[in-house]
Amino acid sequence: MNTSPTFDDILEGVIAGIGDNLLPAIDNPKAQATAMMMQSLLQGMRQQLPDYDTNIAGEHNEMIQVFNDMAEALGDAQGPAADRIRAAASEFGQRAPLPMPVPRVETTAAHHELSRGLEQAMIDLDELQQAGDARADEALLVMRTHLSPRFVRDVTNWQAAEGFIGRG
Amino acid sequence: MEEQLAKFVERLVPEATSVKIVDFSPIPGGFSRETYRFDAICATTEGEERLPLILRKDPPALEAILHTSREVEHLLIEALRAHTEVPVSKSLGSEMDTETFGEAAMVITRAPGNGATSDLFNDGPDADQVDDVIRHLCESLVELHKADITSLDPDQALSDARGVGIDTTSWDTYMDSTFQYYIDGYKTMDFDPTMMIVLDSFLTLRRNKPRPLPLAVVHGDFNPANFLYADGKVTALIDWENSRIGDPREDLGWMMLMDVLSNTSVMSHPVDEGGFLAYYNKLTGYDITPQELGYFTLFGTANVAIPVNSAIKRRLSKEHMGFLHLYLVQSSVPAVLALGQLLGYPGMEA
Repeated sequence: MNTSPTFDDILEGVIAGIGDNLLPAIDNPKAQATAMMMQSLLQGMRQQLPDYDTNIAGEHNEMIQVFNDMAEALGDAQGPAADRIRAAASEFGQRAPLPMPVPRVETTAAHHELSRGLEQAMIDLDELQQAGDARADEALLVMRTHLSPRFVRDVTNWQAAEGFIGRG
Repeated sequence: MEEQLAKFVERLVPEATSVKIVDFSPIPGGFSRETYRFDAICATTEGEERLPLILRKDPPALEAILHTSREVEHLLIEALRAHTEVPVSKSLGSEMDTETFGEAAMVITRAPGNGATSDLFNDGPDADQVDDVIRHLCESLVELHKADITSLDPDQALSDARGVGIDTTSWDTYMDSTFQYYIDGYKTMDFDPTMMIVLDSFLTLRRNKPRPLPLAVVHGDFNPANFLYADGKVTALIDWENSRIGDPREDLGWMMLMDVLSNTSVMSHPVDEGGFLAYYNKLTGYDITPQELGYFTLFGTANVAIPVNSAIKRRLSKEHMGFLHLYLVQSSVPAVLALGQLLGYPGMEA
């Protein structure tokens, strides 16, 4: 997968594109407001995305404890409502915590580093191939075999419309 | 802008005593130049003449995808008009002084015809014309490739049009110096390591040089969007900004790739001649094989990949904030499949 541009790069670019290219050309006040709402929504996404996975997992794990603590706070309170809270605590409060995800910035950096390593290996293999070492052909095939499904997945994930928008 | 344009057109049309610009509006077309359509109403001693024109202006240098000269483009178009039957719009002149329009620019006439070439394909409204139009397109390309280089490029401005050290002394020096440009240029375009498939193509091209063919003036961006047509004929080949001396198979290879990316089928026509390549071979006698076409699809892709991806890299490092460059990341992704197929990546065979 691409590690550059990041999702944040793209969202930032779309926000700027709306401001630089669309808003100056829109006369209709309602359309102007809609464009600005789009910018606002996208900016909100930008703000959520960096910690989204960590926050979701963290909040999930905190809620497990909340159920247990609420049940404890109720003590021997009577009635169907108190019984339901204790039942919820015995179900949700027993859940195993979710593993905390590695921050995306770390996974991206690790991925990026190994990919750059493959890039350099490709240059080194070319040197061996030019010198006539057939084993380098085999080694390049190993790399291409790894890259193939990655590239196919990239195309599937990225492609949204046929052709080039804006050209004849 | 209109005021500057009026003064400029006045210089280009000496018989005009005054010029008025009307109906000035941007054209959402090419990705690499800012283009505007307008009419110039030229008053002369004999009356008034209305000229349908186009202003092609360079974008700011950091945003520019291709750094070539509008003066060279102007001179080539006029040489094509003087020495060949290749359909092109008349070029009135270029303005290289950036004080006038902010960047270098040129003014050409607006050719008649439909520029929405997708109308020819996929059961579009002009699908009945497709064979005739593509036949003429092929004939025009052959005429370009067979034209005398010294007539079209007397000053050798097209030998190294980007100023990157290309040596067109012979086919071999051209290919070798171009490989070096590609490989050296990789560092300017590697905005993401997934670009290594492009690096792979550069290195593979160098290891597998094909047989030579006579060098020619190539269009350089011969693709399904770069012509206009009417009544079964091409009325103009457009966007000559990437023209240069090169191997004629580059234009064919680039068309093959862009045909796929554009969801068109230029290469399948004219049907009665067995498709574009077969007809091209019949007219030239070059006997270009599908394997050679594949090689030059990679080669032509490399030629465009360097400037396009370099501009994207400058965008991602925030040297400029152009929006189009982000879209190009997405819209170019299908090219990866084509590259993988041509390079023989396992599991990506056609």
